[in-house]
Amino acid sequence: MAVALGIDLGTTNSVAAIATPTGVEFILGPRGECVHPSVIAFPASGGVVVGQDAKRYRLTEPHHVIHSAKRFIGQNIRAPLVQLAMTGIRYKVVEGPNQQPIVVVRDRRMTMPEISSHVLLHLKRCAERQLGTQVKDAVITVPANFTDAQRQATKEAGRLAGLEVMRLINEPTAAALAYGFGKDKQQLIAVFDFGGGTFDVSILRLNGEVFEVLASDGDFFLGGDDLDRTLAEVLAADCNRVLRIDPRPHAALMMKLMMGAEAIKCHLSENDAAEGEIDGLDMPNGTTGKLPFSVTRKQFEELVNGYIGRTIEVTRQVLAAAGLVPSQIADVLCVGGSTRIPLVRERLSELFRRDPNNQINPDEVVAQGAAIQAGSLTNTLVSSGMGARDVVATVGHTTLVGPGVMPAVVLSQGMVKRPVLLDVNPATLAIQTAGGFTERLLDKNAPIPIEKVRVFTTARDNQTRVEIDCCRGEARKYTENEPLGTLLLENLAPAKRGELKIEVAFRVDSDGILHVRATDQASGAQQEAHLQVLGAPTAEDP
Amino acid sequence: MTARTDVLLWANRIVRKGSTAPNQLLEIRDGAGLDEAQAAFHKVARMAHPDLHRVSLSAEELEMVTTAYARVAGAYQELRMMRMQTTRLPRTSVKPPANAPVNKMPDLSPSEQKPIGPAGVAAQMAPKALIYYRKAENALRRGDLTGAVLQLKMAIAADPLSTLLRRALIEVESEMAKGG
Repeated sequence: MAVALGIDLGTTNSVAAIATPTGVEFILGPRGECVHPSVIAFPASGGVVVGQDAKRYRLTEPHHVIHSAKRFIGQNIRAPLVQLAMTGIRYKVVEGPNQQPIVVVRDRRMTMPEISSHVLLHLKRCAERQLGTQVKDAVITVPANFTDAQRQATKEAGRLAGLEVMRLINEPTAAALAYGFGKDKQQLIAVFDFGGGTFDVSILRLNGEVFEVLASDGDFFLGGDDLDRTLAEVLAADCNRVLRIDPRPHAALMMKLMMGAEAIKCHLSENDAAEGEIDGLDMPNGTTGKLPFSVTRKQFEELVNGYIGRTIEVTRQVLAAAGLVPSQIADVLCVGGSTRIPLVRERLSELFRRDPNNQINPDEVVAQGAAIQAGSLTNTLVSSGMGARDVVATVGHTTLVGPGVMPAVVLSQGMVKRPVLLDVNPATLAIQTAGGFTERLLDKNAPIPIEKVRVFTTARDNQTRVEIDCCRGEARKYTENEPLGTLLLENLAPAKRGELKIEVAFRVDSDGILHVRATDQASGAQQEAHLQVLGAPTAEDP
Repeated sequence: MTARTDVLLWANRIVRKGSTAPNQLLEIRDGAGLDEAQAAFHKVARMAHPDLHRVSLSAEELEMVTTAYARVAGAYQELRMMRMQTTRLPRTSVKPPANAPVNKMPDLSPSEQKPIGPAGVAAQMAPKALIYYRKAENALRRGDLTGAVLQLKMAIAADPLSTLLRRALIEVESEMAKGG
């Protein structure tokens, strides 16, 4: 039987699952863990260590442990966000061909897809061991606001791990699928995805087996890490006051404070106050110090209130983009670790006038949705007679029931209709027109796959080449958008100006990846127009 | 007729229509409302979404179905934008709350040789960083410290070497820590 894996490839953690006739089954690591840290170590002893085992090298060999690779994958190394992310890591990242980031470890140069492929390969091997069969196909989830290059790079990572990536789906959409699959719901829901590195929110209409994303938006620069950094700044000020050392110029010391801040943040989600000390601080003067701390939940909430306010503001905007008001939303799903913060849930309750759904596990629901989509694409959901059932973790959920099998509540017997996911285009695609303005071709939030055909012509007699500048973004002015690349139409037959008609089809496929195809209307000759996106992996080796 | 022939006939029909009015592609009446368009599109999706035919159609057939589907999706989006623009309420301008603290960009001139006029700021950072810096100034005028911090961080990322930006960030963050 073909087994297709659903994979939530996260910034900090990854989860994999498969849909079986008895429910969704999670793939467990060597120690029975269901959540696999997205950490790859290249220890001095040789080899590659991934997951839970790789984490312990973080303190002994920090320069050889790669984490948060998702922040770099498919990015242009010169992008502001990437430069910012590079200040928070201790391994070496350099500029490679096509401005893509390259990791350098022990004289090995690796692309970001190569790095991520180690995590995927680890999951594939765990799955093969657990299921006793070969695993070839996969559905991988990505943040809703991932760009073209980031999506392509994620697919490349899958390919390098020996997986056929059948589909990339957006994380919030996967969560909605896990929530509504097989339940024949007719309602509007909001998915609030607040993870370690990014934040996004999607509004969906569930119409039986159809899952339509109405609007989706987010803030790429907002995540749990920002909350940690804010708290770490306060700890740094304490450090300066108590220990008389300013840790801010010292990256390693700040890293330690960041890790401390993260632990305090998690503690404060369960408790009203956190008190203790951060020890093992390697001071610049060679000594080892301890920093006592005492933070109440109230103090922490005041610190991060602005950030959380921003997530609520973005949520309002997305509702407006969908043409809806909060009271129309029947349920609010929380995804991502940062939604464990009580203040987040409080603010969501205020906005929607209802408590967010607390029946789903924010860490696992995305992988569940991916597994269902994988089962649907391979048509195994129907052939195995999988019934409508509650695949979403319920209150009594534990991660270690049997060999990774989730308790599944069978609601009804019989065949279930295969889900239809109507995902959306993550960003507006536009082309440059005369005067430095843009013409919008494919709107943000438009359903995908989507195609738009435009006819171009020549401006001069005997012109044999047309260049079309493409960009991503909503601004009217071309230069205020993110340039995507230049589309070249070459070797055109010489003709009078305006005579030649070239039809260009811009298509965003189901994975959210752009394809451009040009056809000469007179001759019917087709060419696959090439658009080189900066930061994307190239055919050459780094 | 089987589902397979149904979808192939439909795709063939749509592709042959070429570029035509959105309601023609969705096969609904002219002037249909948003609900009608949505119902029609969901019907198409249930029958023809390419994901449902991944296994059952040949590569060539799947490409035709995908093209037809993608064009109908474009038509649906066009109708949706048109309908939403006509039904949306006029936007009211957002005014800052009356009690919003009045902040101005931290005064950083003394130790720098250049006065902090508009030109002085521009000379101290890359053009791209300046865009974010201006946004940060706007955020401060609204009393939005968090927004200002985010914009300043973006500015720093665009020009990591500008000391003015780093000092501005520290000042705004300390302002925030004071409970501003």
